[in-house]
Amino acid sequence: MAFGDYPADYNPKVHGPYDPARFYGKPDTPFGQVKLNQLGEWFGRRNKTPSAIAGTFSRAYWRWQHKYLQPKRAGIAPFFQFITASMVFFYAINYSKLKKHRNYKYH
Amino acid sequence: MLSRAALLSGQQNRALVALAARTTGTTACNNVAASCDSQVEMTRPVRMEPGKVRMGFIPEEWFNFFYKKTGVTGPYTLGFTLSTYLLSKEIYVLEHEFYSGLSLALMCVVAVKKIGPGLAKYLDKEIDAYETEWNESRVNERQVLEQQIGNEEKMQWSAEGQNMMVQAKRENVALQLEAAYRGRVMTAYQEVKKRLDYQVEIQNIERRIAQRNLIDYVVRRVMSSITPDQDKKNIDKCIADLSSLAKA
Repeated sequence: MAFGDYPADYNPKVHGPYDPARFYGKPDTPFGQVKLNQLGEWFGRRNKTPSAIAGTFSRAYWRWQHKYLQPKRAGIAPFFQFITASMVFFYAINYSKLKKHRNYKYH
Repeated sequence: MLSRAALLSGQQNRALVALAARTTGTTACNNVAASCDSQVEMTRPVRMEPGKVRMGFIPEEWFNFFYKKTGVTGPYTLGFTLSTYLLSKEIYVLEHEFYSGLSLALMCVVAVKKIGPGLAKYLDKEIDAYETEWNESRVNERQVLEQQIGNEEKMQWSAEGQNMMVQAKRENVALQLEAAYRGRVMTAYQEVKKRLDYQVEIQNIERRIAQRNLIDYVVRRVMSSITPDQDKKNIDKCIADLSSLAKA
């Protein structure tokens, strides 16, 4: 599987038109339904190659896009979501510097 | 990329043809290329409706996730307590950027509340206009094609009329042929009758002439055979008869 190819599990005869937001592999238990004691083996079953991780993020991005950005009458929500997410992200990467602005010594 | 893939191999090419057939077809199982056994997995992506959010950006689903466990106030309680925790431990530091961010957020909220509805209405109208514009050519083309189909059907109908016309002409020609044939038969009959009449007339005339000649001959012979004596006797007899008649 090279760059720009479809996922290996995608078969147009079976799955129809390609949907970048869809996982074409064998579905496992959804993360929200995993019991806490099975969480370890659930993570053990995950494919942790870089391309698989990139695919996960790509699918999440496309799912978000399909839901908030691509609809015909999309609102302003995706922009606020983007702003909020970038605020959190930049706060996190700058946290070591922002920590120095604390007003109180003891908490 | 699709075209490149199509050029690469025949196998993939077939798959793409099948894919194209499926994307244009209305039913999932209308072609042989699509194997109908595994159709359960096949879904066609459709354009979604925008996801519902609360407070401008927080997905509704997160609130629903809390609703089953904590009721309506749960997520708000979590947000409030979490922010209290972050602030009191100064994990979230209230430096100068926080206050500028607060004023920006306030301006954003006011802008969304004030201009939002009007802008949304305007943009919706623009979207509709845009969509109508894009659809227009399709609709027009469809109309034109339907009109052409109508014309074609009318042409076919009139061509069928032409068929009937040809049939009528054929019948007409057949009638004319029949009339000509009958006329010629009549002519032949008349000609034959004329000749036969001629023969009959000739025979009649010949017979008449022969009769007359025979009569003439007989009369002449009879006249020649009558002697003056006989004639005189005859006259006398006639006069005697007349006188006897006169007496009576």
